[in-house]
Amino acid sequence: MQSTEERAVEAETADLERVTGAEAGPGRRRSRPLLVLGMVLVPAAVLYLAGGWLDSPAMKAWRTVCLAVTVQALPFLLLGTALSGAINAFVPARVFSRVLPRRPVLAVPVAGVAGVVLPGCECASVPVANSLIGRGVTPAAAFAFLLSAPAINPVVLTATAVAFPGQPAMIAARLLASLVTAWVMGWLWLWLGRAEWLRPVVRHTGHETGAGRWREFRTGFQYDFLHAGGFLVVGAMAAATFNVAVPRSVLDVFSGSAWLSVLFLAGLAIVLAVCSEADAFVAASLSGFSTVARLTFMVVGPMVDLKLIALQAGTFGRAFAIRFSAATVVVAVLSSALIGGVLL
Amino acid sequence: MRRPLQITLLALSGIGLLRITLFGDLYLRYVKEGMRPLLIASGVVLILLGVADAVSYGRRRADDGHPHHHDGGHGHDHTGGPRAAWLLLVPALSLLFYAPPALGAYTASREPSRAAVTPRHDFDPLPATSPLPITLSDFALRVQQDRSRAIKGRTVQLSGFVTAGKQADSWFLTRIIISCCAADAQSVKLRIYGPAPRPDTWVAVTGTWHPAGALGTRSAAVALDARSVAEAARPVNSYSDDLPLVPTR
Repeated sequence: MQSTEERAVEAETADLERVTGAEAGPGRRRSRPLLVLGMVLVPAAVLYLAGGWLDSPAMKAWRTVCLAVTVQALPFLLLGTALSGAINAFVPARVFSRVLPRRPVLAVPVAGVAGVVLPGCECASVPVANSLIGRGVTPAAAFAFLLSAPAINPVVLTATAVAFPGQPAMIAARLLASLVTAWVMGWLWLWLGRAEWLRPVVRHTGHETGAGRWREFRTGFQYDFLHAGGFLVVGAMAAATFNVAVPRSVLDVFSGSAWLSVLFLAGLAIVLAVCSEADAFVAASLSGFSTVARLTFMVVGPMVDLKLIALQAGTFGRAFAIRFSAATVVVAVLSSALIGGVLL
Repeated sequence: MRRPLQITLLALSGIGLLRITLFGDLYLRYVKEGMRPLLIASGVVLILLGVADAVSYGRRRADDGHPHHHDGGHGHDHTGGPRAAWLLLVPALSLLFYAPPALGAYTASREPSRAAVTPRHDFDPLPATSPLPITLSDFALRVQQDRSRAIKGRTVQLSGFVTAGKQADSWFLTRIIISCCAADAQSVKLRIYGPAPRPDTWVAVTGTWHPAGALGTRSAAVALDARSVAEAARPVNSYSDDLPLVPTR
């Protein structure tokens, strides 16, 4: 049984080599078996040699946190990429031009409010926003949606209500501050944004002839998932590094000063990369901090964090991700300080 | 990234997710129980994607006498998949062959104990059983907030894992609680006076409140004088503050 399988695999590999050889020349053909061999041998050797190191308590904790972030985010990333694939394949561009106001200045607030409809966390919103741009939605509106969706959908607001029982002002403040940030960022993009910061949208829909919509959906879905998944792993690794390297006891140092604690929790939201459906519980547990600081944590977290920056860099390009994330942090901190100051 | 590799990657990720959810409880080391159906669905979707891609790839190669003509034309998007996807191999293989353990003493020793939850005033009278099974959080509440001082003189039983303390005469009985995934872990720690077992072992401890400070107020020490410490089985879902399982004898 196994030998037949092996033979089949061998045959397929040989066949494939012929294909790649014809496509890419003899150099490629040579490197291929080596590559496969390396794929097996190198991790095995690394695991063997670094076994002791990987099993040290710190590395174990790092691996657990890294895997936890990835596993937690995968279903939502899958949902987001499936939705984005579906938008590309099944929803005609005219739907969006009919629903959204023609003038970008007005389209931004509408798209921001439309974030309510995407139930999930921030990983889902990046591919969806990308596909919206691909369908001709003005980038400013797509970005307003990207920022608001993970923060104001019903799932997240319910979680916030559960985490802060008896404090409806907290839910209202979170909703408002997130919306305002999304709108301001959309308008900022209209005012200052440049198209060249955005990587041109790569579409895998080049062959409409003969290709069914289902296939278009499937290939788009698959490509987006694999792409975003790789960047998700980068983000998870970065978040795990901070999680393990910076002990929580550092928190207490900053909880004294009002302004420092707001800035500090904003920074913490970025490096911890907690999923937006859970960040309310984390914020509730940071009881040493002022309510405004905790609000900032919940407004910044779903919009900017390490795994999101990695995902955005992968989807829209690095030039965009850095500028956009930096601006978003500033706007989000200001708006939560203002709205938190008034409401809380 | 070539098509067969993409197919392998999708299938491996899917199988990895199913392995930790359908064939065992490993997922409880990373996320909450409620994620299980979502993870199973994701695993199935990933495997289906892989299979669908394998079928279409196989069919295309069978149909096409000259694959290079086809691939070189306009379809190279498909074969040249995203390069970043390689990284997905790390979690996929890790889930399949090298799953890291649940967070334990290392994490707990680096974090302060979770701050006492919302203030409470209405405490029910304690059941009469002795030793009295109680959770770490409840014990802390009783010690610091129960004005009736019902816990005074009672022998209680708690379970958790061992975290070494800085002082030689005591250690911490610990539970780690997560609200979403292991990235937001918080620890609940209870100081135990007595000889310390090996860190990270799960134990059931019986003992009485360690008298220090005024019981029923904030000044009371959340600590226990151990009468007996027995090794206990690690609970399936270790990220919870549950009543102790009856220790195996």
